Amino acid sequence: IDESYPWWKAFSKPCNELGLKLKPEIFPAGTDSRYIRQAGYPALGFSPMNHTPILLHDHNEYLNEDVFLRGIHIYNKIISSLASVPAFDEEL
Amino acid sequence: TMSSSENPSTSLFREYLRIRTVHPDPDYGNQFLVRVAKDIGLESRKVKLSSGRDILVMTWQGTDPKLKSVILNSHIDVVPVYEDLWTHPPFAAHKDEAGNIYARGTQDMKCVTIQYLEALRQLKSDGSHFPRTIHLTLVPDEETGGHTGMELFVDYPEFKDLNPGITLDEGLASPTEEFSVFYGEKCPWWITVHCRGD
Ligand SMILES: [Zn+2]
Repeated sequence: IDESYPWWKAFSKPCNELGLKLKPEIFPAGTDSRYIRQAGYPALGFSPMNHTPILLHDHNEYLNEDVFLRGIHIYNKIISSLASVPAFDEEL
Repeated sequence: TMSSSENPSTSLFREYLRIRTVHPDPDYGNQFLVRVAKDIGLESRKVKLSSGRDILVMTWQGTDPKLKSVILNSHIDVVPVYEDLWTHPPFAAHKDEAGNIYARGTQDMKCVTIQYLEALRQLKSDGSHFPRTIHLTLVPDEETGGHTGMELFVDYPEFKDLNPGITLDEGLASPTEEFSVFYGEKCPWWITVHCRGD
């Protein structure tokens, strides 16, 4: 059973309700998620920053306050959704 | 200057940005994070790794603890700076008139840590309850490859005890209206090849 699917549904549903356009991609480098995936657990990489130039590791790295605050609201909905996913068969 | 009417979440973010968790000698005292967890009402504990580094774990127990958990992962460290290339000092968290906050770690990834925490603060104060347990894992040394942090932690019983279901971790900024979401990552071949014996 691919467990990733119910998690993906629970992640994308509140995003759709908030009107967010999601662009699924492969991360261009390595992050800590690779160790989690190698250990056999699904992981999603998401930082709620749109309308923002990619400045990680660069000078003048910045984030706009409104983008930051909206991100809290986005996580509020995503976390609620993920923490409410009904039990999978094999968990019971 | 900081306005007294600034959103408290923004103020907390800026406070975290001023802590120099920067390589090669990050301030991993973690008093700030432990204080915020306590303030929100999350249990927090440390898992000591063989590298000498700590993983900080904060937990919001679900109503059905048998179920797999939601893990909100973020790294505490940030990469170094060439300070003279910065318009504003990289650990001052200056906010300009457009609301842009300048600091090392604004995007990678202190924003996410504070967003997780502030989302949980809202949910707790709304009286929300969830069947699944939510764990925050706050890890060191991602920017140096995770070999002294997450790479070790995933093999510890304390990690398995989290009963991981889904993990959220960092993504990247997106210059357009769209939000990037990463379901896998490029893995250079030299990371996965292990040579044993002759
Ligand atoms: Zn990062």
